[in-house]
Amino acid sequence: MRSIKLERMKKVINGGLIINDIELYIPAGKFFALLGPSGCGKTTLLRLIAGLETADAGKIYLGNEDITDVSIHERPVNIVFQNYALFPHLDVFDNVAYSLKLKKLPKIVIEQKVFKILEAFHLENHIYKPTSQLSGGQQQRVALARAIVNEPDVLLLDEPLAALDFKLRERMLIELIDLQDKLKTTFVYVTHDQFEALTVADQMAIMNHKGEIEQTGTPKEIYEFPHSSFVAKFVGTTNILSGTLHKLDTPDPEIKIPDLGSFKLYIPQKKSWMYEGCDILISIRPEKIDISKTEFQNFSNTLKGTVQSIVYHGRSTQYNVLLKNHTRLQVFEQNEEHFPQEVIDYDNEVNLYWQKENVVILEK
Amino acid sequence: MLKFGKVGNLIFISLTYLFLWVPILVLFVFSFNTEGYPSPWSGFTWRWYEELIDSIYLWKAFGNSLIVALCSTLISCLMGVFLIFYAAQGGKEGARIGKYLGLFYGNMVIPETVLAVSLLGFFSLLSIPLGLATLVVAHTVLGLGFVVPIVYARFLELDYRLTEASLVLGATPTQTFFKVTLPLLMPSLITSALLVFIISFDDFILTYFCAGSSVQTLSLYILSMIRSGVSPVVNALSAVLLFISSLLVMIFFHLKTRSRIF
Amino acid sequence: MRFPRPPPSERAFSIGIPAMIWQVLFFYIPLLFIIVSSVVKVSETGAIKGFTFTMVAHFFTPTYLKVIFSSILLALSNVVICFCIAYPLAYFMAFTGKRFKNTLLFLLLIPFWTNFLLHVYAWFYVLENQGFLNNMLIHLGLIKQPLVLLNSIFSIMIMMVYYYLPFMVLPIYSSLERFNANLIEASLDLGATWFQTFRRIILPLTMRGVRAGFFLVYIPSFGEFAIPELMGGDKQMFVGNVVSQYILAEGTGSLGAAFTVVSCAILLATAIFFYWLMDRYVYVKVR
Repeated sequence: MRSIKLERMKKVINGGLIINDIELYIPAGKFFALLGPSGCGKTTLLRLIAGLETADAGKIYLGNEDITDVSIHERPVNIVFQNYALFPHLDVFDNVAYSLKLKKLPKIVIEQKVFKILEAFHLENHIYKPTSQLSGGQQQRVALARAIVNEPDVLLLDEPLAALDFKLRERMLIELIDLQDKLKTTFVYVTHDQFEALTVADQMAIMNHKGEIEQTGTPKEIYEFPHSSFVAKFVGTTNILSGTLHKLDTPDPEIKIPDLGSFKLYIPQKKSWMYEGCDILISIRPEKIDISKTEFQNFSNTLKGTVQSIVYHGRSTQYNVLLKNHTRLQVFEQNEEHFPQEVIDYDNEVNLYWQKENVVILEK
Repeated sequence: MLKFGKVGNLIFISLTYLFLWVPILVLFVFSFNTEGYPSPWSGFTWRWYEELIDSIYLWKAFGNSLIVALCSTLISCLMGVFLIFYAAQGGKEGARIGKYLGLFYGNMVIPETVLAVSLLGFFSLLSIPLGLATLVVAHTVLGLGFVVPIVYARFLELDYRLTEASLVLGATPTQTFFKVTLPLLMPSLITSALLVFIISFDDFILTYFCAGSSVQTLSLYILSMIRSGVSPVVNALSAVLLFISSLLVMIFFHLKTRSRIF
Repeated sequence: MRFPRPPPSERAFSIGIPAMIWQVLFFYIPLLFIIVSSVVKVSETGAIKGFTFTMVAHFFTPTYLKVIFSSILLALSNVVICFCIAYPLAYFMAFTGKRFKNTLLFLLLIPFWTNFLLHVYAWFYVLENQGFLNNMLIHLGLIKQPLVLLNSIFSIMIMMVYYYLPFMVLPIYSSLERFNANLIEASLDLGATWFQTFRRIILPLTMRGVRAGFFLVYIPSFGEFAIPELMGGDKQMFVGNVVSQYILAEGTGSLGAAFTVVSCAILLATAIFFYWLMDRYVYVKVR
């Protein structure tokens, strides 16, 4: 397993600049997720790594080796396609054994490897069946088996779970994590589903519509400390408020939001673009806000509002609260109690509380 | 994703198409040559086209080919449609018909020469005089061999839910066939009609054996011209026919882009 | 073909029958007839005297078998050459841009739909001793004496390929158009070279189109006689020439029929063999 490094990658398709000067480092042996909205170019990036597309500019390194000009079939990089691309005229065994047969390995060795992997994927009973007879989940596992049986350095997965139903997807995610843990192969997982990305990734990167990488980091870093409003809104849901920055160089900086008042901020590190009175955006995740009809004292920030809508999610309840300045805040409350002590209903006057440390200041 | 690199591919394609078109273009260009063909170029003239218009026998032959082609196309398409209609009735008869339709694939495994010989023998056995009628009969057999496989294949691919919807809404099977099935089959029907027309019009082998001595078709006429010697009138003729087939191909394309045919 | 069973009054029985009758009457019965007439002895009055295999046996001699064999060879080489040109062409057309694809298809079909004899005529005079090609070459000073191109296997082959190429291209193109490009990518990604991918993935999955093309070229090529006669002169003897000679001459009708039956039978046998071969390739060789 080796790392991947993309340097100044550029790709134009049909006159449109899909990938624009991207630098990306994917560490070796880790489960890496590439998250972005549909059409942002993440699949193109994946195909560039696999060699299915050639870059118009830039270089790709596999470990220390420059593989920019290496052809598809010589790269020790395998890809699992979104629609699986299983060979319809070959049965399960021959599909999985395909790459091994090309290497002209002895028949016994091939059989050994294929049987072993099919067993690990719980496909022992389907070995000689034509692929059309398998369910979606089984086909996906065959595609996966086929791609890892020849032990590539890197495994690329292009939205592999998109066609599966919810429960199956959850299960496959866990299996993928276990698989990567065991194989220690570098996995690059492309998806537009942030839940999937957050679940599987050791490291992840977010791409925006323009084909640029907005932020890289661990899932926790990205979720808790987004750099931009794009990332904050794309990964999870959030409330974004805009205002002006005041009392910058004091121990109690605040953001002044028109019609709502001033709220305390926590600035871990003063950034170069910050100055007294500048416009800033803050992001407060809905789960970081407490909601109650009673008033509490021990929170750094508080706000009053009226409950507009309530959505019951089983594990949690989502409240949309209308504020004085006609904006809404989203609040998540976990349903911790079977018989809740406080019942919040439509049109109730409520108090919202959050700690200043749970607010993130966004760069743009 | 190309195999031999962009340049190699382009060379290959150009050479192939050059191979296909050079003779035709040469023929076309020299149809305007004063000296005729294959003498070297000596000047532009419409002379051969004028001669073309004046050749009565050629036009007679052309007319015959046209009549035969039209008749055989019409008959084979009509019979083909009715056959499909029968097959579309469903139930026991419909299912059985599916097996018998295999009969129409026989045309693909028998060379036209064999068919021509057998028809000739058949006609002489029954003492049927050879002429336009026998030609039409022969070409219709040829035509059926195309119409039935093509239209039936398309028929099998039709979404049966459309016909179910029609029946549910109150149409009888007959009405369903003419209002739903047939319109859907129309593109492939027209394709096969065009195909049969062209094949019949340009046909040589079947015509050679089954036309007898009294009837001249265009193919036979051209053959006699080739055998007897050069005439640039043939060049003029080929230019005209080329133009006509271009028109037909354009019609075909117009249909193809509208809906899947093959 | 999944109509629910209609009520009895609606079953249109007879309307489909004409086609069936026509086909049987004008295709199968005549065929049966010549098969029968090749093994039957007929007296002057036309009555059937008995069975005989002499006519059939007459053609199982080296001279005639040689003719049949050359026809098979001709048809086979035609198929092979057409395939080698048609497949790349169809591949290029299927995987290239939409506008280009339509133009190429258009340019392919127009010669296809122009009278076949005119093409023979065209090539005849291009390749002739005083023909276009020789005139050009002499004019350009590349050769002194005209090349003798006509009346040879070369000219026959050129014309055969020329005429039958579209028959091979169209079915293969039709197959390739529906082909899932992801499969090619998957194969390359797993380590196969272009040629391996072609042999193991592309070709097997387009076999249906290839088989259709094979039959559309092989069968008719076997029975061809116009092309060999016009382009090959009298030197080349193929099944078609022999048949037309016997049939159109006086009194040798049943001999002609016998020869037709014999060669057709051999043709079908070879066709079945090749069909089996192609099947085997897809389902066995590829593993």
